[in-house]
Amino acid sequence: MPSRSEPVRSSRREAVVLGLTGLALAVGGWEAAARLSLVNPVVLASPVRVGAALARQWSRGELGSDLAWSGAEFALGFGLAAVVGIVVGLAMGAWRGVELALDPFVWFLYATPLVALHPLLVVWVGFGFPVAVTLAFLLAVIPIVVNTLGAVRAADPVLVRAVRAFGGSRRAVATKVVLPGSLPLVLAGLRLAAGRALVGVVVGEMFGANAGLGFRMTLYGARLRTADALAPVVLLALLGVVVTQGLRLLEARLGRWRPP
Amino acid sequence: MLLGWQAAGTWGPAHRGIGATPAEVLRAGLGLLASGELLAHALVSLQELALGFVLAVLVGVPLGLAMGRVPRLGHLLDPLVMTGHATPRIALLPVLVLWLGIGVASKAALAFLGAVFPVLVNTLAGVRQLDPLWERAVRAFGGRSVTVLAKVVLPGTLPAVMGGLRLGLGRALIGVIVGEMYVSVAGVGQLLAVYGNAGRTGELLALAGLVGLVSLAGVQACRAAEARLGPWRRGPAP
Repeated sequence: MPSRSEPVRSSRREAVVLGLTGLALAVGGWEAAARLSLVNPVVLASPVRVGAALARQWSRGELGSDLAWSGAEFALGFGLAAVVGIVVGLAMGAWRGVELALDPFVWFLYATPLVALHPLLVVWVGFGFPVAVTLAFLLAVIPIVVNTLGAVRAADPVLVRAVRAFGGSRRAVATKVVLPGSLPLVLAGLRLAAGRALVGVVVGEMFGANAGLGFRMTLYGARLRTADALAPVVLLALLGVVVTQGLRLLEARLGRWRPP
Repeated sequence: MLLGWQAAGTWGPAHRGIGATPAEVLRAGLGLLASGELLAHALVSLQELALGFVLAVLVGVPLGLAMGRVPRLGHLLDPLVMTGHATPRIALLPVLVLWLGIGVASKAALAFLGAVFPVLVNTLAGVRQLDPLWERAVRAFGGRSVTVLAKVVLPGTLPAVMGGLRLGLGRALIGVIVGEMYVSVAGVGQLLAVYGNAGRTGELLALAGLVGLVSLAGVQACRAAEARLGPWRRGPAP
């Protein structure tokens, strides 16, 4: 049906064109503001300068090693949070006793502004890598637990009764109804958690670390080298977009069997 | 849990300087309050928080509504908003300090950046999931765009907007605290950094508890406002 699909395709093309235009306008406006000295260009930097700083830091090898360092912290903190969060969330959903026992801790973590505990965490686990991983883990684990628990609770009671009616065990209910049904909410929790883990990594590196993207931008910021300070931020933005979009794709792929 | 904590701190392995007992935390908190130190710093932090958050709402909600109602505008700004949303805005802190100085402005800006994206994205999602039937119904009875806005768009997006405000408030608070911890002349975050570096765990935990209470109060206020604004809605907001 060309008459039906044609407008859809053209509107999608329009979306892409407009989106690129928006990006180009923003970057161009920034460059123009720096070129025309509307704002002090040393303080403002400009896309060209930031690009040059990116290339310079990359060729010196510091950006690559910082990215690897921060990436390792993120992977460790987020990975641990995903495993612990999903296991704890499922356990809390499956056994009432576990839920009652762990509920206060979850809400404590939920209500406490964890970044405020940063100095204390430094005392407990040490500067740099450990505190970044810990902060990323603590920030990320909460949305995963809460979402997993919510997903188990939201299991369709009709489906549960259907499995039971046909003589299914508790195990069958878990593998056939609860686990597949909870997937979208769990993945949504992971997506939220990824952003928070990244914040944890950055905050952990900003104070007293000696490697990582957060450390690098703090270092250059303190030396008033704006373009050099913005280069790691660009990489962090890229990292955030890649992780978020990756999880979104995974979500779409794993949820394909689901009726719309 | 509190009793266990106190016992562990008094007799147990959690030795001094690293842990503090609840009694110590309480004493430290009262000491801070009595000296008047806390109040002055808290006022600065609240001012930064209010400035950043209110600006975020004033920008995020109208822009979200506009992007949702005018598809072209939505397409134009979508990639920018999504990139900003995925970036850890805390990372801009060193640059913000360069731009705006070490005073109130840089913290308010960080709070604004932290809050504006959740508010904007939630508002946008709220507008996009509106049932098109409602608008058609208003139009069929001769309603104009203003009527659609007042009767369909605003009430329909309210739960999503309030969800965004709740999220945004938390982000704004984190922005203020981290901004003050990083470099500042006053504020609760600065106190946190000072007592943290001095190893005074009691004061540190008392301050963290206070920040937690403020964030809890903010979330409850959002909930109450939501319930007041939409008493006709049944069930909790998504």
